[in-house]
Amino acid sequence: MAYVATRGGERAIEQSQRLFRAEMGAITPERVAELRRALPYLIDRVMGEASLYDEDLAALALAQTGGELYEAILLLRAWRTTQPRLAVAAPVTQESLFTHRRISAAFKDIPGGQVLGPTLDYAHRILATEVLEGATSRPEPVEPADRPAPAQQPSVAAWQAANGLLSAPRADSTTGNDIPDVTREPLLFPAPRAHSLQSLARAETGGVLALGYAAQRGYGQAHPTVNELRLAEADLRVTHPRGTVFSAGRVKVSQAEVVSKKGSALGLGFAATLGWNEVKVIAAATLDLNAKGAPKGSATEEEFFLYHTEGVESSGFCIHFKLPHYVTFQSSLDAMRDARAGAAGAAPSKQAEPAE
Amino acid sequence: MTPTIGTLPDHGHDQMLGVLARADAARLKAFAEPLIAALEGIEVRENRTGLVMLPMRDTAEGTHFHLGEVLVSEALIACDGLEGYGMRRGRDLEAAMAMALVDLSVALGRNVPACNDFITSEAAIQAAEDHETLRRVEATRVEMETF
Repeated sequence: MAYVATRGGERAIEQSQRLFRAEMGAITPERVAELRRALPYLIDRVMGEASLYDEDLAALALAQTGGELYEAILLLRAWRTTQPRLAVAAPVTQESLFTHRRISAAFKDIPGGQVLGPTLDYAHRILATEVLEGATSRPEPVEPADRPAPAQQPSVAAWQAANGLLSAPRADSTTGNDIPDVTREPLLFPAPRAHSLQSLARAETGGVLALGYAAQRGYGQAHPTVNELRLAEADLRVTHPRGTVFSAGRVKVSQAEVVSKKGSALGLGFAATLGWNEVKVIAAATLDLNAKGAPKGSATEEEFFLYHTEGVESSGFCIHFKLPHYVTFQSSLDAMRDARAGAAGAAPSKQAEPAE
Repeated sequence: MTPTIGTLPDHGHDQMLGVLARADAARLKAFAEPLIAALEGIEVRENRTGLVMLPMRDTAEGTHFHLGEVLVSEALIACDGLEGYGMRRGRDLEAAMAMALVDLSVALGRNVPACNDFITSEAAIQAAEDHETLRRVEATRVEMETF
């Protein structure tokens, strides 16, 4: 690999960064707070892909990069490395989630029933152009029910297992730092399931959607039906120095199960992520459902989708192609000219290059 | 001799810590500051931000895997042979310290009635918030029909 060092561009580089930042103007605490307040779903998406949950940091990263998502996530992943890991929380279970939204496309009468929660699924998509003419668009207030929904909801998969439709999952005694962790170990294939699910949790939404959609359209082996989709809050359960386990706060999480008939039984795919991002978890669960036995190099093969949905690596590789490649490209040109000269029966000639 | 560890009359240690971790930061700081007067010789062992990894259990195969890390602030303080601890989401170091002060006060048996009242009040506020949230969620309950 031959790269050429660039020299003499220091001022241009400095000015180019100023030009980028000039478009955004001053970054103030008020701007960060407004971004956090006004764009919760974008904040969630950024936190999930950064694999770092803090709304203020995500809003700051968006403000600092002008909404250039790949840069924002790179900033957060880089900042994360400056922080010590203080603990690994107790594993979150589905049944313990403080649930805001829980639906199933497979069964209409699931135990506990279905709550739509916050969604635009059944909304008319009409742009509020009156706002651009000076009006204020205010949402109609929710009319709360007389009684509250149950905070916790039972698992649809557990109910299916009890009815012989699914195999009950095995118990996993792995906890704490013994859980495989792609931030501390290389991703190798075949990947441990913990690596695969963690990689999907932090994957880039668009990439996961593209490959999940390919599987859903027929480039996979199984067509998914959403068994259960949840948007919820999970307790961060940590341990006090004297041994008391307590919740240090709640974080928003999304999780999806998709189901498909596999032979005489049902197969289940699963995915979850930090923040509320249901497109990502449905697409990711579809990839999980299709991964077993997928042909090498197909969109649903684990190595293919895990490598190609890692947003920081893929965007970094993509944009590196715009950086100076003068020597490698000149080498290609030389090889091309030699080939042409050889084909014409003439001896290769030395040509002066513009850069020389 | 191991010192006796105090408790609240109306709340378990886990509930107290959970309420403090979620309590309004401004109210928590305002409540905790006067507690310092009864904690002479207090030693600050940690007051920092850091990350807590959050694992989840997959419902398809039962595997534990990491969802991602959560930013927290942590405080560990000590006085008269006992420690007080605080950990809360976010980067508010003062709020984590305030939580640790309440924990230490209770452990040492100092200002216990006031701490108990504060936890009772904050627990009620949090329960009311959850109740209101869940009433709004219940309003979206849907009974699907097939034709």
